[in-house]
Amino acid sequence: MWVVLLVRSDQRGGNTSSAVNNALPEHFLGFGLGLRTDHFQEVIDTKPPVDWFEVVSENFMVNGGKPKHYLHSIRELYPMVMHGVSLSIGSTDPLNKAYLNQLKVLVNELQPEWVSDHLCWTGAHQVNSHDLLPMPYNNEALDHIVDRISHVQDYLGQPILMENVSSYITYVESEMTEWEFLNEVAKRSGCYILLDINNIYVSARNHNFSAQDYLNGIDKDKVRQFHLAGHTDYGDYVIDTHDHDVADPVWTLYKAALERFGLMSTMIERDDNIPPLQDLIAELNIAKRIAQNTLNYGVR
Amino acid sequence: MVLDNMEKNSLASLQKTMMAFLLKGETIIEKSIVKQGNVSNKTRLNIYKNAYQARLKEVIDNDHPILGMYLGDDLFDEMVSGYIDYSPSNCTSLRDYANQLPLFLTKQKPFSLHPIISEIAQFERLLLDAFDAEDAKRYTKDELQKLSPSDWLALTFRFHPSVQLTSFEWNCVESWQALKKETAPDPAIKQTNNWLLWRNPERLTQFRSLNEEEVVLIRMILNGEDFSALCEYLYNRTTDQDVSILALNYINSWLDDGILRSFS
Ligand SMILES: [Fe+2]
Repeated sequence: MWVVLLVRSDQRGGNTSSAVNNALPEHFLGFGLGLRTDHFQEVIDTKPPVDWFEVVSENFMVNGGKPKHYLHSIRELYPMVMHGVSLSIGSTDPLNKAYLNQLKVLVNELQPEWVSDHLCWTGAHQVNSHDLLPMPYNNEALDHIVDRISHVQDYLGQPILMENVSSYITYVESEMTEWEFLNEVAKRSGCYILLDINNIYVSARNHNFSAQDYLNGIDKDKVRQFHLAGHTDYGDYVIDTHDHDVADPVWTLYKAALERFGLMSTMIERDDNIPPLQDLIAELNIAKRIAQNTLNYGVR
Repeated sequence: MVLDNMEKNSLASLQKTMMAFLLKGETIIEKSIVKQGNVSNKTRLNIYKNAYQARLKEVIDNDHPILGMYLGDDLFDEMVSGYIDYSPSNCTSLRDYANQLPLFLTKQKPFSLHPIISEIAQFERLLLDAFDAEDAKRYTKDELQKLSPSDWLALTFRFHPSVQLTSFEWNCVESWQALKKETAPDPAIKQTNNWLLWRNPERLTQFRSLNEEEVVLIRMILNGEDFSALCEYLYNRTTDQDVSILALNYINSWLDDGILRSFS
């Protein structure tokens, strides 16, 4: 899976780095950002040095207008990945066919590098909480999710990525750790993993487990993307708020994740209290520097 | 309480009790949560409940900024919590969550006692509909000039998908405009008024008021009636004007607004 791609970074829009001599994993897109409304015009006008953008699928499940216009203009300039929040893969409701259809239409329009959603459920009995609610980590839930991921992958005609969520509760129904569960889901369904480094940190603090154990429990060849984000630390617990800069312990964990999984497509998720684009690019450069220092990649 | 002896919930019943907590505050779910460290299960669960309510509130806030100014913070909060109870989300995109807000405001006191409140909400929803409606090519003057005289009478116009025709019973749009300019709105006055909303070629949402005559013409077009029918209607209303000039004036203004859809 390690392939030498000498020209890849030059082919990708916005990437200003010159030829890289290290071996890059085939799936490596570089360092990306979440595409946010506040930055649409600036991205088009200035074509900032961001390797790719992640878009929230549901935000573009509209018929037309300005958001879609910007989306397509930006897609012409950058690689994209699609990130959903409403698949509700763990729900006991039937899979939402109308939603899957909208997702597929958008996939056809955007031709993203990949499609991801969360290892969670968002609602039941046709009511959507619009939150990423944790699963009980047991065999019933495992069978249920594996079956549904297979359906979704068949429908979309491609493997998807499942992301670990931040959580604040553990159910008495759980029989295994979250990482055992996630890993088993990936192994049995053939999906890949989007590891949210901040979510691992947040959940580790809230449930008092070792974040390093989490990383060690995930198969090396199953991970395709990292998320980084900010949180709010209340002392006794931590909430995944996406409204701050990435915190120092998350940077430390990011380094540990790079050591285990190697160079990985990495992006920063900022959903609230959104700073100027330049600030996010500066933060992304921290991620890039950590990757360069940790893996000795791409430094000239 | 000994957890090991407890019967374990199926996934379905666990999800049912969690939703009952989020939507109705029922606390049966607490029995299914492992006690961990210093943080109580109540605190842990409330993180979810707060997030649920805050997320929906933010959606209403974003969709209805002027309604928020009209109501003031206290009434706005009362409306939000009432709507969250009244209308649990059944959509996958939050874009549609507040679609039933105007209806809720006609039913729920004290809002229902002031019908202008529901109308302001309805106006803001129509702005959203115009904002992200389907794209379509617009009819241009060039296209119109290419028509042969024989094409004219059976010509049936179509509107751009963003076009919304609406009428209100109160001065809701004027109040919306006043608040948008950060000035105090006039008191609510009952006055039937008609409005057209659309997204212009620069993708900006626009609106303007309509007189009775234009409303009828637009309705006729929406009903699929052709140019000759429009002229006939104008002819029956007018005594001293050239009907074809009058009709062309309307068409030209619609072309300028960019509200007609291209035939090509
Ligand atoms: Fe994430």
